[in-house]
Amino acid sequence: MNQEWNDDDLEQKVDLRLWKKLLQYTLKYRKTGTTFLFVAFGLAICDLCFPLITGNLISEIEEKGGNVDFAPYLWMYGCATFFLCIFIYGFILCAGKIRTHVSYDIRKDAFQQLQELSFSFYDTKPVGWLMARLTSDCNRLSNILAWGVMDFIWGMMLMATISTFMLIYNWKLALTILSVIPVLFVISVYFRKKILTTSRLVRKANSKLTASYNESILGVRTTKVFVRNEENLRDFDTLAEGMQNHSVHNAILSAVYLPIVLTLGSVAIAVILAQGGHYVTLGALSVGEVVMFIYYAQMFFAPVQELSAWFAELQMAQASAERVLSLIESEPEVRDTEKVLAKIAESGNDGHTAEIGRIEFEDVEFQYRSGPTIIEKMNLVIEAGQSIALVGATGGGKSTLVNLLCRFYEPTGGRILFDGIDYRERSLTWLQSNLGIVLQQPHLFSGRISDNIRYGKLEATQEEIEEASHLAGAHEFIMNLDHGYDTEVGEGGIQLSLGEKQLVSFARAVLKQPKLMVMDEATSSIDTETEKKIQKGLEKVLKGRTSIVIAHRLSTIRSADRILVIEKGKIMEQGTHSALIKAGGKYHDLYTEQSMRDIVRIDTVMGS
Amino acid sequence: MSTEPIQSSNKTLWELIAYQKKRYLFAIAAMIIGTISLLSVPYVFKVTLDSLTSGQADLKTTLIPAALIIVGLNVLHGIFTYFRGKLTAEASESIVRSLRHELYKHLERLPCVFHDKSDTGDLVQRCSSDVETLRVFLATQVVEIARVALFFLIAMPIMFSQDFRMSLLSLSLVPVIVLVAILFFRKVRGLFQKVDEAEGKLTTVLQENLTGIRVVRAFGRGEFEMEKFLKRNGEFRELEFQLFKILSVYWSISDFLVFTQLGIVLIGGGYWVMQNQITIGTWILFWWLMRTIIWPIRHIGRVLADTGKATVAIDRIQEILKEKIESVEEVSDAPVEGEIVVRNLTYSYKEKQPVLTDLSLTIKKGETVAFLGPPGSGKSTLVNLLVRLYDYEEGSIQIGGHELKQLNRDSVRNAFGMVLQDPFLYSKTVRENVVVGRSSAADHEVEESAHAADIHSNIVDFEHGYETAVGERGVTLSGGQRQRLAIARALLKEPEFLVLDDSLSAVDTKTEAHILRSLAKRRGKHTTILIAHRLSSTRLADRIFVFDHGKLIQNGSHDELLSVKGPYQKLWNIQSDLEEEIEQDLSGAKKS
Repeated sequence: MNQEWNDDDLEQKVDLRLWKKLLQYTLKYRKTGTTFLFVAFGLAICDLCFPLITGNLISEIEEKGGNVDFAPYLWMYGCATFFLCIFIYGFILCAGKIRTHVSYDIRKDAFQQLQELSFSFYDTKPVGWLMARLTSDCNRLSNILAWGVMDFIWGMMLMATISTFMLIYNWKLALTILSVIPVLFVISVYFRKKILTTSRLVRKANSKLTASYNESILGVRTTKVFVRNEENLRDFDTLAEGMQNHSVHNAILSAVYLPIVLTLGSVAIAVILAQGGHYVTLGALSVGEVVMFIYYAQMFFAPVQELSAWFAELQMAQASAERVLSLIESEPEVRDTEKVLAKIAESGNDGHTAEIGRIEFEDVEFQYRSGPTIIEKMNLVIEAGQSIALVGATGGGKSTLVNLLCRFYEPTGGRILFDGIDYRERSLTWLQSNLGIVLQQPHLFSGRISDNIRYGKLEATQEEIEEASHLAGAHEFIMNLDHGYDTEVGEGGIQLSLGEKQLVSFARAVLKQPKLMVMDEATSSIDTETEKKIQKGLEKVLKGRTSIVIAHRLSTIRSADRILVIEKGKIMEQGTHSALIKAGGKYHDLYTEQSMRDIVRIDTVMGS
Repeated sequence: MSTEPIQSSNKTLWELIAYQKKRYLFAIAAMIIGTISLLSVPYVFKVTLDSLTSGQADLKTTLIPAALIIVGLNVLHGIFTYFRGKLTAEASESIVRSLRHELYKHLERLPCVFHDKSDTGDLVQRCSSDVETLRVFLATQVVEIARVALFFLIAMPIMFSQDFRMSLLSLSLVPVIVLVAILFFRKVRGLFQKVDEAEGKLTTVLQENLTGIRVVRAFGRGEFEMEKFLKRNGEFRELEFQLFKILSVYWSISDFLVFTQLGIVLIGGGYWVMQNQITIGTWILFWWLMRTIIWPIRHIGRVLADTGKATVAIDRIQEILKEKIESVEEVSDAPVEGEIVVRNLTYSYKEKQPVLTDLSLTIKKGETVAFLGPPGSGKSTLVNLLVRLYDYEEGSIQIGGHELKQLNRDSVRNAFGMVLQDPFLYSKTVRENVVVGRSSAADHEVEESAHAADIHSNIVDFEHGYETAVGERGVTLSGGQRQRLAIARALLKEPEFLVLDDSLSAVDTKTEAHILRSLAKRRGKHTTILIAHRLSSTRLADRIFVFDHGKLIQNGSHDELLSVKGPYQKLWNIQSDLEEEIEQDLSGAKKS
């Protein structure tokens, strides 16, 4: 699913500043890095030895005929092999360590940042997009920052030592070999990029196919009822054909690339054979030396291919680097101020009372970024222990008001005061630890029901959990499940119905025993009978607590101390149920209209 | 060479490959020519080097032609490698494509009974990752195995024709290298899997956190979440690092073996040259050949260890393809219309208690009926049987005098316009989703039905109106909007039978009233079945059927049912009481 969100990848100019910052992740592992430098150098030297040993052995046999002492060659070859193996072991170990640790670090930093970023950030970024940053982008970057950097160092060392050696030994043959390198590099980069682009297309096509299967299964009834199989199959075939074309194209590119590289290499080797052979006939070179140079020429191809592959990847991964860095470096909009942080560091809290008392909205205004104003100069006082119900049409600003109160967003104008102190002068932890929130779309984490309720109070005992469930009216349905409180709820609570999820999330908030309870249409999917039970529990729970409830049900609204009718970001009417009915205004209209909605559902009456 | 459809369902790996026999055969031929060209290069070297050491060589007659031949052989190898790559890609992708096609077609044709018991995630995984495993196997692993095999098949005759003892020496460690590779990868397969699982767990924690970020924040559980994440992140790091550690040992050992084998060729060959048993050229030939063919062996261990996966994958795919699809009856000329007559119908889902027991009822052509009853009373089951989503065994259902079981499934479904309880929208545009009802519909007809379902005004408010995409990348519709869109498409179909299965549960009262008025206007146009949870819908019905525990307990018109003591009357009274209470509330407020 992650690949879907990578479609903005395009080849870009390499921004060195960006990579320099990212390189800090690699440089953090100084010890491993230093070891690696040593290992890479050793590896290059070992690599250098083999052609030399081979060439010399051939030359000596060629010259001396029957009287060669093999012992030194055996020793040298044995040693070179032994050290080579040690260094290869070290190479993979170092690169592996840096690769795994760098990806751990990047993911950790990004995750930490995500825990602090404000809701306004999440409003603009879909979960899938964020997931892709922490999975595929992180993997990609850590690969470059570990294997890429290491291959670069090793390749450079190998090429530097070999070319120095060859240039000293025979500069003419050396130049023949070196002249092929730039051509090889350019061609390699060109093809690698093309291959990367097409493989991205393949991945994209593949995720479309997967989505299509998913849809065909989820929508199978609709498809059957409307006899859509043929049409769907046709659509699917178009996708599958696209996938096939991209895949074949991708494979063909590889099938062209590798032969070209090999052929180019063979040109170098052939030229050396002819050129070197000519020197042999002139008596200037031995056959062993010709073989040695051919050996060296072959050794050049691997690092050149590796380097060009990484170079291409670097260009293609530019977008990944930008996205990840911008995520790590972004500033949360809602955060503790320096002053508050200093106070916490000093005394452990923000220096004010832990209680929640009188809440005051003072000319509060709010708009999302440059969007329209959602809350207009709102003034409101909520006394400690009061229960407030918010009513009004969708989009009127009820949820925004609640979000502001919980400091998920901060007002763009005016102030929100708790006991006379602007909440921006207080710590987030203080407010959060006093809040109990039940949302309309309740989110449960995978795990057992008890774990989900315990989220409200991590150290809660089983008794406390059951008590909270009783109050929330959730106990009964939980006990009816196969494993009671130990029932697994599945990813996102998929095993439970929406109503059941609302009950569990209600229990979770109850367990927290918050001073300020906020409920956003928290019982919308619960049947009337359960609703009645909750109502009783709710009264107990809310006793002595301040509460704000957005609700559609009359029963919930009627029992509130004060009802606010909110429309177009303004408080249109407020007062008790009877006062508002008497006034015959908007609430009266809403009530008469809404009353129809509360009509008994047939199943609750008949099912019992 | 075209893509032939895979017909029969039970295919082994080899049978699958056989579908693209021609391409694979040509690919093998190309590979043979390519490999021969490549392995001839050392031979050219041998000849050249021999003529150099014997002093017979000169630039024009030996060296330049040799160089040209070497380049020529490589070009030849290149060309045939290209053909091999193209052919195998085409072959494997064709096979996979027809497999995908077959899977998709099959899934859509499998009965609801199958879909009810299977897990969507699992099915999708079989269709995507298992097919992908198979694709990788067909496209690269098969080729890799063939390439290594050919290397040896072609190199061995060359070697043995040159020198028998030298050949034995050159191949002495090869079996060990192969064995070590296979044993190693077989052993670490578990670790590879563990790493994958750890990554999966990490991703899950991440996804859970991000989707539930509002809850995390609301409960101030950032630290708790961080701990959870770091634990998984750390586990993944450790396991992956462990894998690297083991791999570093393996590559180091296998490199040692390879270099030792090459060393044996070098030193042993040198010794025989010294004793004049072979020429320098032959010596280099062996050394070069071995250098060409020995490296790929190390990877083959991994490939061979992975082939098991492909067999498992194909088995998992077969399991789907082996499932029986819905029966297909002959299409008859007579249209599906008329009276619906249900007689003594009993139905149960998979050995469970019957959902419908001995049910009999008749719905006349053009009639509007309402089904009432608690959940599980059999209302939905009955309509699902009517559109043949399920097949009944006991009793009979007749439409227009024809036994439903003998009617063509698609013809039956075409006669119905059905709004399902949980309507599904395709991730297409709004228009495309409505047009599902009738693809030939004109724009004004689409809009008319959207009007009737009271969704038109919502649609035009979307940024791109009817062309707005629905789903993850477009607008997310509320439950009520989804229901109304589904109603619009059923209305657009202008079906013989219109079925609304609890399709107004998520819409508000005003909208409900609007839709019910639209339905009232169409009264008599189609036979209409309403499954409802609110009494408001039942006032529209000519007749009301009250279900309980799979049985019909009451039926009759609203007035008839109201006049007799029973569940309907009871319901109605509760409702009236409530309305009265509200009235009092309102008037009481006014008085005081």
